[in-house]
Amino acid sequence: MATIQIKAEVSGSVWKIITQVGETVEPGSTLMILESMKMEIPVIAEDGGKVEKFTVAETEAVNEGQIVAVLSK
Amino acid sequence: MTAKVSGDANEKAAVQAVLPPKDWGPEVEELRRRRTYAKALGGEEAVARHRERGRLTIRERVAGLVDHGSFQEVGTLTGHGKYDGPNVTGVQPAPYVMGLASIDGRPVAVGGEDFTIRGGASWSGDRKKGGQGGFVEDLAASYRIPLVNLIDGAGGSVTSINKRGHAVFPGVHGFERSVELLGKVPVVCAVLGTAAGGPAGRAILSHWSVMVDGISQVFAAGPPVVERSLGQKLTKEELGGPQVAVDLAGTIDNRVDTEQACFAQVKRFLSYMPQNVWEMPPEVACTDPVDRCDEELLSIVPRDRRRPYNMRKLIEHVVDRGSVFEIQPTYGKGLITVLARMNGKVVGIIANNPMVYGGAMDVKAARKQIHFVELCDCFHIPLVFLVDVPGFMVGRDAEAAATLREGMRAVYVGLQATVPMYTVVIRKCYGMAGMGTTDKNGLDLKIAWPSAEWGSLPIEGGVAAAFRRDIAGAADPKAREREIEDELRSMASPFRTAEAFGVEEIIDPRETRPYLCRFIDAAQARLRTTLGPKAKYGVRP
Repeated sequence: MATIQIKAEVSGSVWKIITQVGETVEPGSTLMILESMKMEIPVIAEDGGKVEKFTVAETEAVNEGQIVAVLSK
Repeated sequence: MTAKVSGDANEKAAVQAVLPPKDWGPEVEELRRRRTYAKALGGEEAVARHRERGRLTIRERVAGLVDHGSFQEVGTLTGHGKYDGPNVTGVQPAPYVMGLASIDGRPVAVGGEDFTIRGGASWSGDRKKGGQGGFVEDLAASYRIPLVNLIDGAGGSVTSINKRGHAVFPGVHGFERSVELLGKVPVVCAVLGTAAGGPAGRAILSHWSVMVDGISQVFAAGPPVVERSLGQKLTKEELGGPQVAVDLAGTIDNRVDTEQACFAQVKRFLSYMPQNVWEMPPEVACTDPVDRCDEELLSIVPRDRRRPYNMRKLIEHVVDRGSVFEIQPTYGKGLITVLARMNGKVVGIIANNPMVYGGAMDVKAARKQIHFVELCDCFHIPLVFLVDVPGFMVGRDAEAAATLREGMRAVYVGLQATVPMYTVVIRKCYGMAGMGTTDKNGLDLKIAWPSAEWGSLPIEGGVAAAFRRDIAGAADPKAREREIEDELRSMASPFRTAEAFGVEEIIDPRETRPYLCRFIDAAQARLRTTLGPKAKYGVRP
């Protein structure tokens, strides 16, 4: 079982987490939405997989490159 | 001496032995043997060690890259010969293999270090073979054909002081040739090992560069030097693997996961390039209908201004199907630079990526745009800007990184370029960064989607500064600010600018492909009649 680390592409804050831990997501699915530069930036799981955990919570600040979720496949 | 004819067999043989050979057979036999020495590279053991590290030999690399059987080696016999009296018993080949070959039927100069011989370190013959300058670069310059460098050399070594009895002044003759080539023929550098010093520097002097995950690292100096200088203990990979050199620094443009994928990408890159700056980029027959108007384009930009969209998908809908080749996909991700085709003709696409800081131009995006604009300008490739830029990146970090200076460099380089450019405003087009997407030296054709908005700065934020007194004096300042914003926004419709001919056309997003194809086709005569090298004057800020 491979784990996939999902990283934030931008700095900003977590606006909404729209998937659940344990959920299996398709490739290209949006896991959460960040707010950055007045824009809603989706965090996308390119490969898809099962959501193992989120490493951030809503309203929390995130840095570019920070791991925000872990998926397994 | 005349030989007596006799029936005695022994006597006959003795006579034949003293006669000179009738042809050059013995020398050709020696040539064959010497060629065998060259093919053996650094010997079985060294080659086996090299392969164990998951790396191809230089000869396998050349064979993997070029058209089958097209490699015509030059300097096959170079090296250090070992002799037994007058007879050669072996030659340690020079650690550089190069020659003339073809890729997709077009001639190229190709060369690379042989790591199996002294780690591909430099070799001192009467004439340099390649690496930095040398025959292979002379060949590219003289015949005006592309150059492919397959870099796998460690560069200089302090041991050369021992050999020569003096320290070598830094830099060799040949680097000036490497610089000259950048204005004349396409230069591709593939880093296929650990490159430090000279070979690392050589890799940067290219139009496009690529490295392979796992086997390639590139840095000014490797771990031992870094530990000695700074006390930092780092692995080769941490210091100059693709995650640093490609993703973070943009020192090298693209990364791939195998050497085969690397050769495929080199071929792909060259397929968009002319042989030299005196020729047109290669046109191919286009099977994708020019009048394809994808329905998806009508809804790709969300009406909600806070929501971004997938710019890469947008590009795919506009250009010839399957023609996209992205340069630096993992660096400066706020900007997308793509070589593609429209109606079979090569174009360079520069698109802002709203997913990354709303498409704002930061230092990395600016640097990426500068190189790409110069690349396309040099090889007469028209540029299409798909614009969604709110301006330069703002904030303390951005200022400390000199975003303004690097951003203005991007603007400067854009205003120096003379290749036709097309401005297509998808959404935001603001400020200096917005200006940098226009063809001020040429036709300055700017078309826009109905979702477009522009100005010297966005209305939000701009209002607070420009109407400070008005807002402060109001009974409800917040409400007054919103009121002014709404008032101004109602006048910001792109249709009003089109009435004033401040933008040349507003188009249905679905019409983008046919519209651009039409104008790119029409610009071909202009391109054909302005070929050649481009002199650049002035001082980049």
